[in-house]
Amino acid sequence: MAKRLGVYVCECGTNIADKVDIDKVLAAVSALKDVEVADRYKLLCSGDGQGYLKQSITENGLTHLVVAACSPKQHETTFMKVCEQAGLNPYLFQLVNIREQCAWVTPDGEEATDKAIRQIRAAISRVHYHTALEKKGMECNPDVLVIGGGIAGIKASQILAAPDRKVYLVEKTASLGGKTKRFSKLFVNMESGPGLIAGEIERLQKSKNIEVLTESEAEQILGFLGNFEVKVVSKAEDKEDKEQNFNVGAVVLATGFELFDAKGLPQYGYGTLDDVYTSLDFEEMNLADGPTQGKVLLKNGQPPKSAAIIHCVGRAEKGYCSKVCCLYSFKFDRMLQSQLPGVKIAHFYSDLCIPGKANQKFYEDTRESGVEFVRSAVTEIAGGDKGLTVKYETETGAKGDLAVDMVILLPAMETSSDARKFAEMLNIPQDDKGFLAEEHQLLSPVASAVEGVFVIGCARGPQSIAESIVQAEAAAGKILSALVPGRKLELEVKTSQILESFCTGCKTCIEVCPYGAITFDEDRRISVVNEVLCHGCGNCAAACPSGAARLKHFTFPQIYQELKEVLR
Amino acid sequence: MTDKKENAPVLVIGAGIAGIEASLLLANSGRKVYLIEKTSYIGGNVIKFEEVFPNMDCATCMIAPKQQELLADENIELLTLSQVEAVSGAAGDFSVKIKQKAGYIDLVNCIGCSACFDPCPVEVDNEFEEGLTKRKAVYIPCAGALPNVPVIDTENCLRFKGQDCQACQEACAFEAIDFNQQDKELELKVGAIVVATGFSMFDINKTSQYGYKKLGGVYSAMEIERICASNGPTQGQITLQSGEAPKSVAIINCVGREEKGYCSSVCCMAALKLCHFLKNKLPELKITQFYSDLCIPGKAYQQFYQKVKESGVDFIRAEVTGVSESAKELAVKYKTDEGKENTLAADMVILNPALEPGADSAKLAGMLNIPQSREGFFSEKEPDLTPVATAQDGIFIAGCAQGPKDIAETIAEAEATAGRILSRSG
Repeated sequence: MAKRLGVYVCECGTNIADKVDIDKVLAAVSALKDVEVADRYKLLCSGDGQGYLKQSITENGLTHLVVAACSPKQHETTFMKVCEQAGLNPYLFQLVNIREQCAWVTPDGEEATDKAIRQIRAAISRVHYHTALEKKGMECNPDVLVIGGGIAGIKASQILAAPDRKVYLVEKTASLGGKTKRFSKLFVNMESGPGLIAGEIERLQKSKNIEVLTESEAEQILGFLGNFEVKVVSKAEDKEDKEQNFNVGAVVLATGFELFDAKGLPQYGYGTLDDVYTSLDFEEMNLADGPTQGKVLLKNGQPPKSAAIIHCVGRAEKGYCSKVCCLYSFKFDRMLQSQLPGVKIAHFYSDLCIPGKANQKFYEDTRESGVEFVRSAVTEIAGGDKGLTVKYETETGAKGDLAVDMVILLPAMETSSDARKFAEMLNIPQDDKGFLAEEHQLLSPVASAVEGVFVIGCARGPQSIAESIVQAEAAAGKILSALVPGRKLELEVKTSQILESFCTGCKTCIEVCPYGAITFDEDRRISVVNEVLCHGCGNCAAACPSGAARLKHFTFPQIYQELKEVLR
Repeated sequence: MTDKKENAPVLVIGAGIAGIEASLLLANSGRKVYLIEKTSYIGGNVIKFEEVFPNMDCATCMIAPKQQELLADENIELLTLSQVEAVSGAAGDFSVKIKQKAGYIDLVNCIGCSACFDPCPVEVDNEFEEGLTKRKAVYIPCAGALPNVPVIDTENCLRFKGQDCQACQEACAFEAIDFNQQDKELELKVGAIVVATGFSMFDINKTSQYGYKKLGGVYSAMEIERICASNGPTQGQITLQSGEAPKSVAIINCVGREEKGYCSSVCCMAALKLCHFLKNKLPELKITQFYSDLCIPGKAYQQFYQKVKESGVDFIRAEVTGVSESAKELAVKYKTDEGKENTLAADMVILNPALEPGADSAKLAGMLNIPQSREGFFSEKEPDLTPVATAQDGIFIAGCAQGPKDIAETIAEAEATAGRILSRSG
């Protein structure tokens, strides 16, 4: 079929018309190959302008369209919609920016006119090589896999589950509740951790749409947003291993944290001296079902008369502040004081990190209760017949000793050992601290670099319970927004493709793809693009040494034709 | 829940980064969203920052794609110059009265060419630029503000003061200036409400020891943010009022912390960011930070602190007791924890104030019937378990309206409100 091109120049009121001699432009382009119409209009983006454009496309039977107006950021979609309304495939259209790139920046009128002519000739030349592209949709599975049955995983599951959305909650231990269920009290309101978890588990069990798999681990997860294939293996102690396979549309990683191993810093005496505990040991001691039935006792069975709380254990080694330790240490003060009236407590710390509206009062109340705060570095915990001695040095170099009965260390929080496993399984980057990395640290804090995989809670960094829950709800928000049951996923139109006959199987494209959208087909020895994951960034097309990777709508002939005319 | 509730439109109050994120997620799921914003532009406080910590991303570049997406989204109806007047009803069926002030510019006809600014004879302080530069009575707050549509400030426009001026109208080629526009009252029916009204800065004028607004060379952190901005009053040139670049800067942290009674979470990092930015622009600049406790929580921030410290910034743990003028410079008097008193000379002082709730919080809390915390921020239903829900079913909070926080936490909360609203788990 013969091509019939329409070229329309927008005056943009006076913005373009005052600088660019539009009649001269029209005269220069109207005789070019296949140009059927070349016309000007006062304001093409206006309602009247769009109506005129639509009518002109239909009446002239146009097959291709070039509009010279403003930035594509402003009105490309406007004119693409006009094309659709006029029955023209919107990818057979090219917008030329002769306002921001020409009229507004080129001072001389003649030069501006000449530049506009070049830009429009380039677009005409390019649009000849455009092909019609179609929008595609993909069926998606709305179900979700949540890995980790701590507070973050529980909350994410609760909020996601619905009659038309099943949630699989996979927990590797025998019970849900994670670390929170072992915290007898929670800051700042001193409510019960086990109580909170019990309530949440009860809510969880009421949902018919959540399948809880305890003593289970996800062994394989393959796929992409809307379509992951999952293999989960359940390994209950007294039962045979059971393998389960199912499909989900999204994956939420809530694998939690572990504490920095205080044994790695022998100066604190952890593991070698009696009555030196980590924060998690102290939490256990305070639980009714713990080793001392909830009583704070020394190894000799006596209640301590004094305690030292050492902050920032492992902070220097890890290279970050674990955010919540200062706050839960004030909780420890209350736990000690309520059991042991008159107990003397001293904190050894460097900087108090108590961000947020409610926390300073929590600190001030602690301080007023008689707890001592010593800003200094602890150099050693020494043992002896009469108890422990904390040796410390202040910022100004003054040295001191304090004799105490009990020492509680506040070690840094680390990501759980499972993080690496899932990072490798799902191809998610870990940051230099080992935490699972966000898609964008600020703008996309709960999404990972892999579309459809979300990271929440302490798996992505130290967090409070409230923050973990916010992130659980946030991941749910992202999933509920993207995977609507019965709705197809809209795919990027301008994706890349790899021509089988050109591909030499060098895998360069796989290395440069930031979206994990290219895989290697071992049978055919070629790279293959997954159109669901491809964002059309063009990295592969630029890097491919054999010209096999090509980006739709940015093909070499299209770009060549455009450049040729601009540089003519 | 009824079908009506599940598909009911959502009202988002505040078009800062939190409101934008919540609106986009809700709209993408198919919900109709009304996003109301009291100013004429979207992007809130974040667009005032040239760069943001810890990766020194350009803030406006970072959020521009989200702004564009928002403006193009057919499910989102953006109402600028708008405020809530009254709220009635309950979750699933709220009725909200909105007052939209006339901007006197036709949104359809205006192409944002800015031809109307020059002829306007009025010049007043530009609030967006912290009063460091002037604007006209018809204006956009800064270059690149979106939507790219000016507004007429009726308090200063001569025509609204009874004079016969139509300079802007004559300059407009698109007949976009319409003096006959009237304020509008709208009644919206929505199923849920997201409150994302952001923060204000503690008013440094309430302090006297720092010489703010009295001594040349003493600036607020927000003023410095605008001075650093390439679209700001000095196009990013860091200069004193004399026009010369500063040689030494003292940054005073925790201004207003004692008055407010809480740590504002982000100021230490914001100060470190300023150090990084200033050192980059003026490598010879001597910078001293006065602080009490360094609050740099989380996995990524300590590294940034170390980098800044290694670049040659001094950190003095001390209370600043006064700033005064001495000869050509400023004298910063301070007292350390051990009680030692000393003085530091600097030719620029930057005051880093606390974050506080937005000015209209109490009024809005009253209309929405949701409690405020002791500090004036909107309160969560249960601080641990339901951090983005409020005591009122169907009303949610996100971002600094709930308490001071950084961009990542703000975005996560905005996404969480969408999660709560879109959830059908009951």
